[in-house]
Amino acid sequence: MNAVHGRYLHIDLSSGTARAYPLSEDVFARLIGGTGLASYLLYRFCPPGADPLGPENPLVFASSPFIGTGITTASKIAVAAKSPQTGMIGDSLSSSYLALALKRTSYDALVITGQAPGWTVLAVDDGEIRLLPGSDLLGLDPAATAGAVRAELGSGFRVAAIGVAGERGVRYASISNDGRLAGRTGTGAVMGSKRLKALAVRGTQRLPAVADPRGVVRAARELAARSLGPGTAKYRELGTAANLAFFSRLGVLPTRNFQAGTFEAAEAISGERLFLEHRTDKHGCAACTIGCEHHYRTRDAGEAVEVRLEYESLFALGSLCGVSDPNAVLRAAALCDRYGMDAISTGSTIAWAMECVERGVRLPGRPEEWPRFGDAEGLLRTIEAIGERRGLGDLLAEGSRRAAEITGQGSEAWAMHVKGLELPGYDPRKLKAMALGFAVSTRGACHNRSSAYEVDFSDQLDPQAEALAWARAAASSEDRAAVLDSLTVCKFLRHCFSDFFAEAADLFERVTGLPMSADELRLAGERINTVKKLFNIRQGWTRGDDTLPSRLLSGEAGGLTAAELDRLIQAYYRVRGWDEQGQVPPERLRDLGLADLLADGRMMREYA
Amino acid sequence: MSTGTATVRVELFGVPQLLTGRRQVEVPGRTLREVAGALAREFPALAGSVVDPATGWINGGYLFVVDGRFTRDPSCPVGPESSVLLVSAQAGGAS
Repeated sequence: MNAVHGRYLHIDLSSGTARAYPLSEDVFARLIGGTGLASYLLYRFCPPGADPLGPENPLVFASSPFIGTGITTASKIAVAAKSPQTGMIGDSLSSSYLALALKRTSYDALVITGQAPGWTVLAVDDGEIRLLPGSDLLGLDPAATAGAVRAELGSGFRVAAIGVAGERGVRYASISNDGRLAGRTGTGAVMGSKRLKALAVRGTQRLPAVADPRGVVRAARELAARSLGPGTAKYRELGTAANLAFFSRLGVLPTRNFQAGTFEAAEAISGERLFLEHRTDKHGCAACTIGCEHHYRTRDAGEAVEVRLEYESLFALGSLCGVSDPNAVLRAAALCDRYGMDAISTGSTIAWAMECVERGVRLPGRPEEWPRFGDAEGLLRTIEAIGERRGLGDLLAEGSRRAAEITGQGSEAWAMHVKGLELPGYDPRKLKAMALGFAVSTRGACHNRSSAYEVDFSDQLDPQAEALAWARAAASSEDRAAVLDSLTVCKFLRHCFSDFFAEAADLFERVTGLPMSADELRLAGERINTVKKLFNIRQGWTRGDDTLPSRLLSGEAGGLTAAELDRLIQAYYRVRGWDEQGQVPPERLRDLGLADLLADGRMMREYA
Repeated sequence: MSTGTATVRVELFGVPQLLTGRRQVEVPGRTLREVAGALAREFPALAGSVVDPATGWINGGYLFVVDGRFTRDPSCPVGPESSVLLVSAQAGGAS
């Protein structure tokens, strides 16, 4: 096949050794690349019961056939590990030049296991690896780390780094590269547990040729032109921050730890207001024609801060914490980037603590330092405490689920997570498809692995539609997301296709030379989601993990009840071909073409 | 405004709000198609990027929310008591 190298590099930090292994064409034909490839390698390498912060947990970086082909937005790197937040699959994507550098090394993926004896920078220079001392970099933020590494190794290296949060094991620490983040599920904490401060990659090899160069160029040009059309207008013009005021008006803006769906001060931190009063510039990711990355600057008496801001950071550090000062929200987002922490989990865990204070629950540290809803200074102070694991921050660095389990006093009731991953900015009480998507998602509450909110924000389904219709919509949304993530194409492109699966399959065929139909690509999406599900099952997933926080299942104001959610979940299992307990029957694995690919006998065989 | 055509209050979000400088406007119309046409006539800044002048209907990146229901049905009836929102069609993140 074309457009891939057909091999990955396994690096063991404990021994300081590396070895290349083949990747068969079969893997790409069935799982595409990107997230599909990363999930596959994680499944193969991570033993059942592995400690997410132990040396046996692999940290996988994977590329895709589309990287380096000129297809717009297709310069994303897929990262996967067992999540220290959920104990299940942790996968994340980050747009960056690192993806292109990795592909130029002549490997399709890196699998990093073990733990370095001391803080380390791992340099992958084409096929050679070097382990360099990294202790001098401790305490630096990701951007400064990347700058220092490139200053030493050369500007040809692309760098992924962790901040102080990753060094100190904050469970929702992120990995940063080129200013973008593999943000969710705590892969930065995994990297820190390996004493890996930075990964530096330089690739100088020729990119593998595509099967149909002229066809790919033509298709890439058409897609680039469409990427500037109405399907991406919102992202280009205002960015995702535009969601906030609209969501508040609809009553789906999580506010004060999901105690409300409308924020009375939404206008003050709305995307429209930020655009008029704070926006400075906009940028695009590597190989992107859309340019959705809007930057904003503080406009108060304090030291000026400029930061990239998305809706998810805005809601999590704004309405969710009851904070209405846009300057404080911008500073909070900048702090999360500086420490290297996922803003959703940071804001949500602080909102949990704020509700603890509101309800008189005793927390560690001095009461005068506890954060309260609406307290901008308290928000900023607490983010710093989390990043440094100091005082109350040491508890909150565990995430809302563990923090509530440690604290007790009934606080589990307002820890707003699914499987340990905090909810993003969509109140599922009024969003039925998204509620189901959150409950069954393999990585916990996530709007990117299931963009089922699109069904809720449309006229696709009548609100009274039967459970199976919602289940089909949620499953279809997951499968499309899995394909996009595995092609490593931005989800903001999804409305630029008139028939996504047919056009994407045609593009895949032109790039790889492997035959692919729309139905086969759709099936590949289901297959990839099944690999993730199987990983979770092997790590201890049970039927009870597919649920929502009890606060969201009261049935008040037309919201879901626990019984209604259960009906939706059962319908989803039927659509997937699973049994009533959510287990995947062997015949389903055979139908999907996974039984042989994932046979346990093949797990880790090559390097055992 | 033609005799007998009710005035509809439309709440604007995102780009339509920035283009008009208004969070809420009132235009005549009995259906969403009439509302879209009136928006383009009374607020020329919306013509082109939000409302297609050739069709008089909103571009693919936008949709209406009428009484809590999302719709791109131009024949959807509206009246003075209707809650009408004009919003961007996409939501969500990328990674």
